[in-house]
Amino acid sequence: MELKELFNASNVNLDLEAQGKDEVLLELINLLHLDEKAKEMLFKMLKKRENLGSTGIGKGFAIPHCRSLVVDKLNVAFARQRQGIDFNSIDDKPAHYFFLIVAPPVEISNYYLPVLGKVAQFCKISDITSRLDKLTKVEDFLKLLADSGS
Amino acid sequence: MHESQLRLLMFLQDLLFLQKEMQDFQVVEKYEEMGFPLDRKEKIEEAIREVTEQLDRDLYHRFQQLAKKYDRPMAPVKKGVCYGCFVAAPTGSKLITQHKDIIEFCNHCGRILYRTD
Ligand SMILES: [Zn+2]
Repeated sequence: MELKELFNASNVNLDLEAQGKDEVLLELINLLHLDEKAKEMLFKMLKKRENLGSTGIGKGFAIPHCRSLVVDKLNVAFARQRQGIDFNSIDDKPAHYFFLIVAPPVEISNYYLPVLGKVAQFCKISDITSRLDKLTKVEDFLKLLADSGS
Repeated sequence: MHESQLRLLMFLQDLLFLQKEMQDFQVVEKYEEMGFPLDRKEKIEEAIREVTEQLDRDLYHRFQQLAKKYDRPMAPVKKGVCYGCFVAAPTGSKLITQHKDIIEFCNHCGRILYRTD
């Protein structure tokens, strides 16, 4: 499963307006287009997951993730917030780039951990933040994923 | 806001799956290799306790019994079929016809049913 196959105009937001960690999570969840109750549950679950250790992996990236019964397939979203958000990241730096990854507890294809791994790899590409900063359209983001071999 | 018992059970199930993951050394190692610190794994027990306290005792007991029998005590119902045992749920199911947050058990395998659509 390549990352570029998972993203599209409906689950990418390059101009996130959220101002805090909770708001970021809520806006990311909105990109999954679930019903209200599923959104609420997912938010609670992602918060509990964050409590075990922040998903802010540094360099401006955060990758909130969890498994939940509220989805029946792997769901992803990406968002960029220009000003930066305090996400309790491991390097104490604000987070600007957010990937959300949500999967059901049991998947036949078992994409969850491999996709999480691919996203984490993508975040480690040396000049990736400057390239993400330059994006103006969703299509550019999809192209960046493709060009990076993700 | 008062949450339905079904939603609480689903949340509990999610937390239990997460707890199971956190107890799997290989999975934790994978997460840590990816760059995710898991320095407060024990917080999961607290979360599980919080949810369990809000559950109806009898329902929780039944859930525990099912959890002894099955890896997944809860199963989604899709197109009228329980995805735990793959036998069709009864046609009179309110969960299916009205999409209510009600507790229904599969007539065949006994799992607690939920919907994702
Ligand atoms: Zn069944």
